[in-house]
Amino acid sequence: MSLLSVPTTSALPSSQLVPANHPAVTRILYRLTRPSLLSLVLDWLDERNQETSAPYLLSPDDEDDEQDFYPPASSLPALREIYTDLQARKGSKRDVVDRILEGDWRDGISLYQLAMADMQYLYDHPASQKWTALKIVRLSTDSSAPDEKEHPSIPRFHPATFLRNLQREALPDVKAHYNLDRHPTLPLLILRIFILESPYNTGLALHSAKERATFDASKTFYVAFPDFSPYIYISLAATPSSAPGSVSTSADNKSLRKLMLEGIPKAFSKPRDRFKLEGTSLSAKNLDALVERRGGGKTNAAGGGWGVYAEDKKKESDNPLNVQLPTPESSVQEGEGDQEAIEATEKKRSMKRKRAEDVSVMKRRKLVAKGRFGNSAKPDDGKGIERLDVRLEDHFPTISTSPEEGPESVDAEEPIKKDKKQKGRRSTITLELDRTEDDDELSGDGWRPDVRLTFHGQHVFAGVRELVEAGIVDGEKMPGWMTGEEGVSVGVVKDGRIRGNKGSVL
Amino acid sequence: MIPPTDDSIPEDPIGAQLDNEISALHEQISALKAQRSIQASTILSSQSTRLTLNRLRASQKQVKPSPTTTDTTPLLSASTAQLSHSRENLYRLCAGITTFRIQDPDPNAVDDGKVLGLRIDVASSGKFLRPYYIMLNKPFPNSELLRVHRHTIPPCIPLSLLVDRYLPHGKGSASMGSKEPGARKQDLRRFARALRKEVVGHHNRVGVIKSLRKEFKLDEKVSRKGKGRERVIADISAADAEAKQVRIEWVDGRIGRCVVGDEGEVRKCVVIGEEGRDFETERRVARGGMEGIGERLREGIY
Repeated sequence: MSLLSVPTTSALPSSQLVPANHPAVTRILYRLTRPSLLSLVLDWLDERNQETSAPYLLSPDDEDDEQDFYPPASSLPALREIYTDLQARKGSKRDVVDRILEGDWRDGISLYQLAMADMQYLYDHPASQKWTALKIVRLSTDSSAPDEKEHPSIPRFHPATFLRNLQREALPDVKAHYNLDRHPTLPLLILRIFILESPYNTGLALHSAKERATFDASKTFYVAFPDFSPYIYISLAATPSSAPGSVSTSADNKSLRKLMLEGIPKAFSKPRDRFKLEGTSLSAKNLDALVERRGGGKTNAAGGGWGVYAEDKKKESDNPLNVQLPTPESSVQEGEGDQEAIEATEKKRSMKRKRAEDVSVMKRRKLVAKGRFGNSAKPDDGKGIERLDVRLEDHFPTISTSPEEGPESVDAEEPIKKDKKQKGRRSTITLELDRTEDDDELSGDGWRPDVRLTFHGQHVFAGVRELVEAGIVDGEKMPGWMTGEEGVSVGVVKDGRIRGNKGSVL
Repeated sequence: MIPPTDDSIPEDPIGAQLDNEISALHEQISALKAQRSIQASTILSSQSTRLTLNRLRASQKQVKPSPTTTDTTPLLSASTAQLSHSRENLYRLCAGITTFRIQDPDPNAVDDGKVLGLRIDVASSGKFLRPYYIMLNKPFPNSELLRVHRHTIPPCIPLSLLVDRYLPHGKGSASMGSKEPGARKQDLRRFARALRKEVVGHHNRVGVIKSLRKEFKLDEKVSRKGKGRERVIADISAADAEAKQVRIEWVDGRIGRCVVGDEGEVRKCVVIGEEGRDFETERRVARGGMEGIGERLREGIY
């Protein structure tokens, strides 16, 4: 630690030590489970990490202190052995944390170690952060520039350059520590930004800010960069209630966060090639879902039932060299699907009020669900979003449309069905389309009740699919946004479609 | 009094054996089924089968159908379906871009859910890849303007740029058949061609980088002791999503970056080592197409 603390604009060094008795250090370490804590410690003890996470070792001229509860190890391999032993043995987490803080890292934990611990927590608890997908768009004054072809559609992401530029955007009285990490399974690079309000980048910064809750969760935030994709995901503020600070500090944090967020597109930019961030109305806790909807693959604009076109099937059925007639999977499984489907509808018509539990009806529903959802929205695919907010701006169903829906409305036994009925009146839509050319402007005719729906659950669209399969939601009349094919988590529905898109994805 | 443990020990190997047998039989069944479908399609697609079926049908028309004669209608329809499938495959093989119709399942879909699908078939390194799809619809009432509805084009292909250029749907754009002067006309044909060019170019570049890696044996393990030539190139990889920039790393610490144009030609190249730029290698790399980089590098080394 240098003796002089000079205000600077550089970032906090990774090797900067945080006192081991700092409450935040204890808290961060205690959040981890014992196995992941031990594997983390073994990572710290790796040869390559010695610059930033060296433990306290016994130096040759030191005397063995009898009072020392945790006598320091003499060498790295010896220490590594101790922790490997701990891994094999059973014990409490407290023992391990105590050993780390009072024994082997008694001088302090470096910022890098804290970042690693935080990242480990993030990997252990994937749903601990809520991510919002943003699109990086080129900021061009003249959209029809002739040399636009020269620019790639995706800004190049070079981590070192990006961090240097981002640091330049940070204010001089704010210090940040950056840590980049590769996600173990997903094609993502996660940047952890830890913000400290201090003009110094030495230990003084940590000490002076100690009284105020320096390490509250809202001052760290994460940015994820999916590979080969024009999107980034940022973690939203964790619940502000977790921060012990007063209202004013949380407002400060908000502005800090905003500053960082504004810095990101600038860090992507270079002279004559500037970028801005745009919302994509998708946020979820599940990174898998985000990578699928806003990643670098084929599935971005083919959600829901359209996903069958983007799947990578193992058997080469969609290959022009395949001579065999393509047989739809469903019909292979269900036998003669068409025949039964017809029978099923006939049966359904003849016994409206009966709770249809027949095998053929169930099969038919499954087929309908398959048609609408494809192979997406399976409860176990791990790609669920946990919340879908929709505002409906449709016309209230008029009397003229009610006769044609007569037979169906008898089926409506569940209250949820009644909800669904309000969306998407086909005939009104076509009428509306015929009457007004520009349907984006809100026409004064008709009553548009303000209906807001929130779907909430572990995997919203899998839930909707299950409802379709159970016959609670009519799979054929269900509007498209309920299948998740729009790939948004917030939206305004007008004329049965998410507004602003007209069902398009560009 | 402990029969369950006693029983389970001798039973286990038998159970495992049975499981193995069952799974082997299942595998056999699926293999046989696949074989059967291949055989069926081969028989159905042959010319003589069709002729025989037609002749059979003609002869059956004359005599009254009796229960002993086989009904040829399903066979004929299967044969027709097979024929149309083969034809479709042939078009896909030769044209590269094919169209088909889809019905949008969304009951609120625009234009009664009529969707035009474009299929782009791309082959790379001797194999057909999963085709790319673009679904277009006509969302504007009283207008024939097309718009991209769904697609499976990865973001590294500048789709929106191509849409802006060939399928504009903003103000002042006109549909394909219109005679309006001065309007920006949509052109689906040129759009599809340009898009396919981008897709194929992307795969070609990725393929060239892959073959360069193979050429310098970068994906093999280095464990062979002293065998063969010493490694000179440490890494070759694509530096951006579009694979238009190639990063080359030498074992001695030199780092090179070359920019590849649309036609696969090396446009620019920079190689920097510890003693500054290595102009000779730069010139060598930038002398021709991207696929020749390996050969030209080798000339310089050996």
